[in-house]
Amino acid sequence: MTILNITYQGQSADYDLAMDYATSDGDIRRIAVEVVRSGGARGLHVPNLPTDAFTSYVVDRLRGPDGQPRIYLRPKVPFGA
Amino acid sequence: MRIVFCGAGALGSHALMLCRNLEADLRVVDFDRVESKNLAAQWYVKQSVGKHKAEAVRLQLANFYGVKAEGIVARLAATNAAQLLAGCELAVDCFDNADSRLVLAAAARAAGVALLHGALAADGTFGLVRWDQRFVPDREDGEGQPTCEGGEHLPIIGLTAATLARAIADFVGSALQRDYVVSLSGVASQV
Repeated sequence: MTILNITYQGQSADYDLAMDYATSDGDIRRIAVEVVRSGGARGLHVPNLPTDAFTSYVVDRLRGPDGQPRIYLRPKVPFGA
Repeated sequence: MRIVFCGAGALGSHALMLCRNLEADLRVVDFDRVESKNLAAQWYVKQSVGKHKAEAVRLQLANFYGVKAEGIVARLAATNAAQLLAGCELAVDCFDNADSRLVLAAAARAAGVALLHGALAADGTFGLVRWDQRFVPDREDGEGQPTCEGGEHLPIIGLTAATLARAIADFVGSALQRDYVVSLSGVASQV
């Protein structure tokens, strides 16, 4: 089991992803749209989410503190200063 | 331990202020000057306007808290990066563009200096604190993209800067290298 963490408009939520950790970035973005539209990720429910909502988002693949594979779908972070 | 902060804008200036109690020598590198618009989102005061940010932050740490820091007015580049990192065990990347982040990362790796990155989304909804071995810089979607400088995103700037300061403190205290994601839902540890 892989955890998919989605951040959208400042809200962040986890979803148990019954797919391979190596699922393509494009598929992750498509799945995330459906998850958020359906309310599958607790606390992150946007029924009318645009299909291209995550087009420019970044897919990170990391291990959580417990060693569990986690995929993070997040906005780009180009700024700091 | 000596820590160099690269970039003293929204993230860098606030992170420096929150690192003032660390058992460490602080160095800050920035070429830019404080503009009045910076007061909305960066840790500067009216008296700082017109000063170089590296000097302004050094003065504020000294005058407000009695903390000594080293301010270096310079634009970090491949030609001077090794010199700017010299003597440091930790570098903190608070730059606002991918090219500068890449130059810093190359220099830090070459010098064996630990490198922690702080980064913000343009819409003020998300921040990232991540160690170099797991960090890939993001580029802007396009030239002239809105930035965090307007001040409306100060809460996420503060939250991300505080998280950055916590990650720095953990490294100073116990060499711990933990990553964090910062959203309006809260702060989560990644690794």
